[in-house]
Amino acid sequence: MASDLLSIARSGVQAARIGLDITAQNIANASSTGYVRRSAAFSEVASTGGAYRIGDLSLSGVRLDGIVRNADAFRQAEVRRTGSDVARASAEASGLQNIESAIEQSGVFDAIVGFESSLQQLAQNPTDTSLRASVIEKARTMAGTFQIASQEMDAAADGLRFLATDGVTQVNRIAQELARTNTRLARASDASSDKTALLDQRDKLLEELSGYANISTEFSADGQVAIKIGGSTGTDLVIGNTAATLGMTTSPTDGTISFTVGSTPLTLAGGSLAGQQLALAKGAQLKTDLDTLAGDIVDAFNTAQSGGRDLDGAMGVAIFSGTSAATMALAVEDGRKIATAPASVTTPGSRDATNLAAIRTALAGVNPSGTMDAILFDVSGTLAGRNVTLGALQTIADTAKVALSAQSGVDLDQEAVNLVRFQQAFQASGKVMQVSSDIFNALLQIG
Amino acid sequence: MSTIFGTSTSAFFERSVMDLTALRKQAEETQAEMSTGERLQRSSDDPVAASRLRQLARADVFDDIDTAATNRAVGDLTLTDSALSQFANLVIRLQELATQAGSTTVNASQRAGIGEEVAQIHGNLVALANTRDANGNALFGGESAAEAYTLDAAGNATYTGTNAPGSISLGGGQSVPRGVIGPDFLQFQSGGATVDLLALTKTLADDLKSGTGGITPAQTALAALGDGLNSITTAQTVVGSRLNWIDLNTDRRASLSEMRTTEKTEVGGADLTESIARLQNTMLVLQASQASFSRLANLSLFSVLN
Repeated sequence: MASDLLSIARSGVQAARIGLDITAQNIANASSTGYVRRSAAFSEVASTGGAYRIGDLSLSGVRLDGIVRNADAFRQAEVRRTGSDVARASAEASGLQNIESAIEQSGVFDAIVGFESSLQQLAQNPTDTSLRASVIEKARTMAGTFQIASQEMDAAADGLRFLATDGVTQVNRIAQELARTNTRLARASDASSDKTALLDQRDKLLEELSGYANISTEFSADGQVAIKIGGSTGTDLVIGNTAATLGMTTSPTDGTISFTVGSTPLTLAGGSLAGQQLALAKGAQLKTDLDTLAGDIVDAFNTAQSGGRDLDGAMGVAIFSGTSAATMALAVEDGRKIATAPASVTTPGSRDATNLAAIRTALAGVNPSGTMDAILFDVSGTLAGRNVTLGALQTIADTAKVALSAQSGVDLDQEAVNLVRFQQAFQASGKVMQVSSDIFNALLQIG
Repeated sequence: MSTIFGTSTSAFFERSVMDLTALRKQAEETQAEMSTGERLQRSSDDPVAASRLRQLARADVFDDIDTAATNRAVGDLTLTDSALSQFANLVIRLQELATQAGSTTVNASQRAGIGEEVAQIHGNLVALANTRDANGNALFGGESAAEAYTLDAAGNATYTGTNAPGSISLGGGQSVPRGVIGPDFLQFQSGGATVDLLALTKTLADDLKSGTGGITPAQTALAALGDGLNSITTAQTVVGSRLNWIDLNTDRRASLSEMRTTEKTEVGGADLTESIARLQNTMLVLQASQASFSRLANLSLFSVLN
């Protein structure tokens, strides 16, 4: 077929229109989340002359080869991987922060120091009833703050478990959606705008999923994705159009959580779910430490107390009740019941403070303020470490994100240039049509 | 700040937001430091410093109690000291009376009169021995909850207190006995035997009143009274040196407390000058970043193309 100037110009105009459309689409989506910059790939339409007409010139203009999605799979994978790490670190850090507040803001340390100091003050004059009342009140404050700390820690753990439950629901929702996207990708025709939109959706979902758990992905030629949860050695979550179900179990003893896919146990190394799991484990350990300390104080005080006589000459009775931070309470509210005198002195009102010294020695053996300081140091040290890690991971993740968006995002300046370029191409093709019309008119005038 | 060339518009905005947010956060942290005067807002800001601050705060609480204990010990020892001075005065008066009674110039009835006064002084001595301290406990009775001396029907005083005075902790592992017990200074060695001042006075009073013996008991008593006065002044010296020991400890505690305050400021306090300079610096950078951001953001090819 011989070349036809008018139809070549027509294809040129059409191509320029497509170019303008794509530019307009890019500009419109400059700030859409997960939108990857499109560009049009054009190719020449030309044919060889065919049989017996080898020398013929046969040019037919331009056609749209496809709409190219400028996504870099490596940078996307980096964004997902670093995003998982940040999500884990930030979930753990925020969980630990709540636990730190629970222990620190409840004022357990100050209350313990107050209690210890009130006992030291009582040593100055063991028969002074106001000093004795002060010991009882400080003991009440201490028991109260232990209870508050315990409740606050439980509340922090509840919050973490709530977030983890929501995370599991989200993972399952995203897995379902990805399975559906896979089905539609299998049906979409190549390089259609439907397919590019589906690929955008797929990548957006993958990024979202990586915020909850670390995943590894494998892409097939038609764009379908197979996902393993828990890294490359993990368990299959999505294959083709089927999605497995992520489950979560809470330990009835210490409230820590564990995950399963189907019935296979799952170990997560990244994502907010892993962070919440770590924070809950640390919280459970700290809670045990706090409970042990409370129990030790109760035991040491009550045991030493039972070895002496109180202000009325009776043998000492247990001042505290309970075995843990949550159950610690005052069993006796009368300051006269503090057994400061040794068992050998039976006269009421004795100023002999031998047993008070024994009580203080027993308490010093438990070292309540030192142990509490160690607990506080444990949680704040861990949190400070995690914050440093989080800062580093955040920088890495931000860089990866910026790198991806620099490569796949829309640059308005470039689009402005494209706009001018395609506009000029359009005008040039129009000129070609005019030339073709002029030639035709000239030919007509010959006759 | 990371720089990536060939950037996209959204990447430019994202990066600008990141940088500006970081600067603003830094400025807010400095501001919080300045308004609270504390470098640490929570333990995890600096776990080691926070732990040190907790220990310092604990030491402060115990120091307050040690201060109260020291004041109590000073009070008790001062009371003891003034009571001992009164004891000494009474013994000197006894010496005068014994000297008079031992003289041949007084007759039996005058001696009986002196005996009455000695009996009165005996009463005063017993009352003084039963002085109470600031807490209402027997000053010379050791750890006893009741009187230091009790009188039987015949008027003989018996010590009923404990064998040692209680001690008060002054902090830093140091302690001081809170006083002296009656027998420490009321019983003394004289002429190779242990003499009790109260018993001695009682016997002297009885002997003089009854008129038996005449000069002899007064002269015997006179020798013993000299030793008694010695014993009392010795006790006063002991009390004085204990007060000195407390003063030493108070000085030590004051300097320790000063060191703690210094350390607290160093570990946990915000240096206002440094904070202000840092805030100024941060604000300057923030302003420059904002200005450059608004200029760059206005640079669009669209506004040039017409």
